[in-house]
Formats: sequence, structure tokens, C-alpha cells
Amino acid sequence: MSILLRNIIRFVLLLLLQVFVLNKILVHQLVSLELYMLFILLLPFNIPRPAVMLLGLLMGLSLDMFMNTMGIHAFACVFMAYLRPFIINILSPQGGFETNMKTPSMISMGVSQFLIYVSILVFLHHLALFTLEVFGFGNLGYLLLKIVCSTIASLVLIVLYELLFFSKK
Amino acid sequence: MRNLIIFLRRYFNFFLFLLLEVICIVLVFRNNNFQKTAYLNSANNVSGKLYDRYNNVQYYFHLKATNDSLVKENARLHNLLHSSFDSMITSNIIKTDTIRQYSNDTAHRIIGTEMRRYLYREGKVINNSVNRAVNYITIHRGSLQGIRPNMGVIGPSGVVGMVRSVSDNYAVVLSLLAKSSGAASSNFGVSARLIKGKEIGTVYWDGADPGYAIMKDIPRSVRLQKGDTVITSGFSALFPENIPVGFIDSFSGGDKSSTSYTIRVKLATNFYNLQYVYVIDNLLKDEQQQLEDSTYHLIK
Repeated sequence: MSILLRNIIRFVLLLLLQVFVLNKILVHQLVSLELYMLFILLLPFNIPRPAVMLLGLLMGLSLDMFMNTMGIHAFACVFMAYLRPFIINILSPQGGFETNMKTPSMISMGVSQFLIYVSILVFLHHLALFTLEVFGFGNLGYLLLKIVCSTIASLVLIVLYELLFFSKK
Repeated sequence: MRNLIIFLRRYFNFFLFLLLEVICIVLVFRNNNFQKTAYLNSANNVSGKLYDRYNNVQYYFHLKATNDSLVKENARLHNLLHSSFDSMITSNIIKTDTIRQYSNDTAHRIIGTEMRRYLYREGKVINNSVNRAVNYITIHRGSLQGIRPNMGVIGPSGVVGMVRSVSDNYAVVLSLLAKSSGAASSNFGVSARLIKGKEIGTVYWDGADPGYAIMKDIPRSVRLQKGDTVITSGFSALFPENIPVGFIDSFSGGDKSSTSYTIRVKLATNFYNLQYVYVIDNLLKDEQQQLEDSTYHLIK
């Protein structure tokens, strides 16, 4: 399967999964399950930065359309997409990741590297998302707790997703 | 000039980032304007239809709870019927029937002499959320069926929200579960009063528990009791009088200097399993609004 086709399928799959499964599950007021941004996280390493940001905008807006939160998810998604290359640069070993491993995954980056990469970006995404959603730092403790709890929930989901598709190279 | 181009090219990514974020922020704040038709929300064709399909499946799993709530409501309405009462007075007095007569085909034609003020239209909930800061409900009823923005929405057991935007066949309802300090003007409070003391206050959601809301502005002179009913005041044009909002769960006076109670209200509507709602069309709303506006201009 070509990289392009795989990413298109992943886009649709994650969007439907987010809208019709994860949004319907109510764990706790502090935990909101978000997995859709995995699409941005799993884009190939060598994709140009403007393209990452535009894809982030597209993904965010598509989700916003379903959730009536115009612009909020798009904002968080673009924010994350902009910061993605910096995090990859910091984490990459001398000479970059192996070129034949084109997408970030547990195999190409190593388990610990991948988890650090994912957790930093997911945390930044949730930070932007929930700050904009409640619009203000009035209830700072609640906001931080919600960001942390949701980040942990998202990480668990991402690890599950990765394990599900682990056998594939 | 050349330096400028070099500068722009060098920081192209950053400027693109800023541009996209500005677009998003503009969208966020534009979305907070009330009263506009829907293009980019769950009332549009794509997402509306998808939600509709999804609901067709998911609906069956809630049939039991839905039936229970509808039967309960029917029983309540039966109890209000005139035929349920037996007058013990045998003397000849003139009874006036409180049930008004209207034709079935259109809402506005009246057989009796009294004016119809509120018209209820049922709507099926096809999407609902409770765990966001501002929650929305999508219903399968739109402008073709007479739904317009800023109509009140109630459920079988109490207040639900207000219509925010409509498309041809779908409408998006701003749920009562919309946090008051949320982005810009998405504040949503229901004008309510206590069934006993008649004191007027505003009920709004504090963003914490989907089962509870906060009521403020009740003076400390009122004697409150746990379990008292809170109903709509009928002051706003959204809801008729006497529709349940919730029940007093607990109350506190705040600090000593404060002159009013803060009441925690257990909401009458269970937002978790909402399946059907009624959209309220206030037929006299325009008249009331016009009069109020003209009076306001007079004073100004």
C-alpha cells in the first residue's frame, strides 16, 4: 500500500473513530478521549512543513464540523503540526532516522523515543485545545488536571492503536 | 526589497503558522455569533446525514428508557386533562373549559376564541454530548419544518436548551450544559423561579457535572428547602411558564457580606439519554419583542 493511500485511509478511519466511537464514550468529566491527532503524528518524516500544517488545519476543521466547535480543534491541530518538526529534530539521533523507515512508529524511532515524541506533542495539543475551549485561566487547577488526565487517556489509546498495527512494518 | 523577500522566505513556515492560527481564531469567534444558518457545523448535509445513520442504529439500544420517559410524560399530561377531574359541586354554575380548541391542520387557525401562544414541535435527537465545556445537540428538524434560531427546546421532563442554528432538515441546539464563562457570548442561562417563593433567578451550568447547575440571585430572606422545584419564570420569550428546570440539591450563602444564595440545582432533564425533544415556537414573540424594543427606544 502506498504511503499516500495509507494516510488517506488513516485520516478517514481516525475521524470516524473519533466522532462515532470516542466522542460517545463518557469516562469522566476530566477525561475527554482524543485520538484524531494521531493522523498528524504518524505523517511521514520527510513531508514538508507547510503541508503538515495544512493537513492539520484540514483534520481539525473536519472534526470541528462534526462537533460544532468551529476552529477550536483546528487551532490545536495546527499548533501541534507546527511544533512537530522541532520535537523530531530534538529526538532524532545523529544523521536523522533511517531513511527507509519513513513514518514515525515504535519500530522506526524505538519505543521510548516514540513515547516521548507522542507525549510531548499530545500534551501541547491538549494544552491549546482545552485552554481555548474554556477560554481563560479562571479555573487553572481544573484546566491543568483536565489536560493531564486527557493526555494520559490519549497516550493509552495511541499505544493501543500502535500495538494493533504493530506487526506491519 | 531583496532582504525582505529573503526574510519572508526564511520565516515562511512561521508566517504560515501565524496565518492559519489567525484563521482558526477568527472562526472560533465568528462561531459565537448567535442566529445564523449553518454551513460548517453538524447541521450540514454530510455530518447531519452521517449522524442520522448512526442514530438509526444506536436508537434501538435506548428504546426502553425512551419509552419509559414518554409514558411518564403521557401520564402527567393525562392528569392535567379536564376529564380527569370530578367536580363535587352540583349547583348550576358556569364552568369554563381550560383546554383550548384548535384545528389540527395548521397551528394558527383557532376554532375557539383564545389565542394560541406556544406551538410545540417534536424533534428527534441524533447527536448529543455532555462532556464538553459547551455542549450541543443536533436534532432532525430544520427550517423546512418551521424551526428557526432562538427557539426554546424542552425534553419530556424539563428544559433542554435553545436552537442556535438551522439548516433545511437539521438544527443545532445549544444545550443548557454550556459553561457560562465560555468563549465570548456563548453564555446561556435560563430565567427561572422557585415554585414556592416565586423569587426569580438565573440557572446556568458551571461546567462540572452534567447533572447539576447553579442558580444565583436568590435573596437570603427566602426560606429554602432541599428538594424544592425550580421552574421557568416565563419572563424570557424562550420558554412558557412552569416548565421544570430542576430541584434544589444544596445551597450556600457564600460569605457573610453576600446578600444572595447560591443554589445547586439538580437538573430535571437527564442529558445522558435524551432521545426526543420539543421545540417551542412562541407565536407572540415578535410582538413582545417589538413592543419592548419600541419602548426602549422611547426611553433612550
